[in-house]
Amino acid sequence: MNTATQSLSGRSLEVQGLSKSFGGIHAVKDISFDVRPGEVVGLIGPNGAGKTTCFNLITGFYAPSAGQVRFGGKDVTGMKPFQMARLGIVRSFQKTNILKSLTVFENVLTGHYLEARQPLWRTFFPDSSVREKERSVRESANRIVQVMGLSNRIDTPASALSCGELRLLEVALALAGKPEILMLDEPAAGLNSQEARAFGEILKTLRGTLVQSIVIVEHNMSLVMGVCDRVVVMHFGQKLAEGSPADIQGNAQVIEAYLGRGTQA
Amino acid sequence: MNIEKRILFGMMALAAVVPLVVQDQYVLHIAIMVFFFAVLASSLNLVVGYVGEFSLGHTAFLGTGAYTAAILSTQFGWPLWATIPAAGVLAALVGVVIGGLTLRLQGPFFVIVTLSFAEVMRLIADNWIGLTNGPMGIAGVPQPAFLKEAGNLAAKQFYYGIAWVLLALTLYLSYRFVNSNAGRAAVAVRENRYVAQSIGIRPLTYTMLALVLGALLSGMAGGFYAHYISFVGPEVYRFAFMASMIIMVLIGGKGTLVGPLIGALLVTFLEEYLREAKELRLSIFGLAVIAIVLFLPRGLMGFVTQRREKSGLAAPTSTTPNPTSSRRTA
Repeated sequence: MNTATQSLSGRSLEVQGLSKSFGGIHAVKDISFDVRPGEVVGLIGPNGAGKTTCFNLITGFYAPSAGQVRFGGKDVTGMKPFQMARLGIVRSFQKTNILKSLTVFENVLTGHYLEARQPLWRTFFPDSSVREKERSVRESANRIVQVMGLSNRIDTPASALSCGELRLLEVALALAGKPEILMLDEPAAGLNSQEARAFGEILKTLRGTLVQSIVIVEHNMSLVMGVCDRVVVMHFGQKLAEGSPADIQGNAQVIEAYLGRGTQA
Repeated sequence: MNIEKRILFGMMALAAVVPLVVQDQYVLHIAIMVFFFAVLASSLNLVVGYVGEFSLGHTAFLGTGAYTAAILSTQFGWPLWATIPAAGVLAALVGVVIGGLTLRLQGPFFVIVTLSFAEVMRLIADNWIGLTNGPMGIAGVPQPAFLKEAGNLAAKQFYYGIAWVLLALTLYLSYRFVNSNAGRAAVAVRENRYVAQSIGIRPLTYTMLALVLGALLSGMAGGFYAHYISFVGPEVYRFAFMASMIIMVLIGGKGTLVGPLIGALLVTFLEEYLREAKELRLSIFGLAVIAIVLFLPRGLMGFVTQRREKSGLAAPTSTTPNPTSSRRTA
């Protein structure tokens, strides 16, 4: 149901004046940007710029000190993470977070939680509709594993996967939540350049098929420039620049922020 | 998954024919205690294995169930078929209260607070003399009337049947829970709360469900115990029951359905067999638990599945020239 309606009714995510301070430190200060339906937006910046904090604020893992998050025109500021997922915003984590003791398939199947939800008593007395749903989420899980290129590892325990496969599994798990907006926090961290390129190709196929919009925090510039329609640059918790990948690559301030710190990516 | 179902069916079918073959009261008593502990261990396993937190307060539910059944039948004359479900329901309500307070805690905090809840319940049972008869306990919990003429053996067979039904119900509910979307959600919360929340799971919903289901089942076991032993005292809240349950779950393997059954079977038989050794058997169990935690952290069932997985993984890749050797590992 979700995937069918997604392409018709697009909701955009608007972030307005979002701020968060920890004690005296302003981790995020007055950040505003929006993600329109069908867009892939990159969020970049040097280490410690506040990108992950920004993610945590949007997805409800932190409560903002000030500012607003709106989704489809509705104020969703300060909602709980599981409520954001129910609205259609699912994220992945910078430090790989998957269900370690389960297999690849079980991970992705578990990700279908919202789709397979049923009344409590149906858990103990399932009827044909429950079995039907179970069949369809298993099919969907299979499809997602295939899309992410993990088919040959489908029954492997997640604890036995390589670093690159783990990153793919993490995206698969987030996709299983059938989000409208997929938020990826450094999905290519730890991948070599060839793996990162393959990962970028997979990301491009996701938009418009399995998800509508993607927000991506990433340090791998060729990946960011390759997949994003628009890039937001953060520096010391504030927005430094925003524009198309080409604009950003030519922006003097951005170059200074990166090169000035000696962390050319 | 299917293998687990088949093992469970096989064990229960085997258990169903036992009273037809065995006419010995002592053996039947042991079998009834195995069922009783299997229900308890399975219900604790729902908390330990599926919430992922170690509850030391499970006797709170057992004791509540036992007292509920004892009081309802001695003071209000309720029959057994009504007291046991009522015992389960009241224990489940206690589970909601205790869960609401403790499930926000994790790790050692959860352990300590659940333990103190069981202790508080014991103190109440000890001191609320008007309701519980204090340390004297409630003696003479009535048996169904028809058992009076039927004789001792028939009474044992009757309780064997009830215990079997309770265990079957326990296994049915646990199996359904574990193999459902709700069970997957509980496992997700156990494995990684962040992931669980990011895919839309409200953690408290499922930790609560597992805890309350465990409370319901152990409450019914408590109700059964009250009628079968026909005496309930504050001892039901003591740590001895808790220790037995923990040993059973750990030895059998937490997070599996068959594990607690194996644990209950082994530990109940061992306890009887080692009766001669008196206090020493506690030390023996202590050593056994240490050994299990050190060498088989996933219990006996975990060990078995690990062996199966290993041989399963090895089989397709092995290029042994001798076909019999590969067959042996498979």
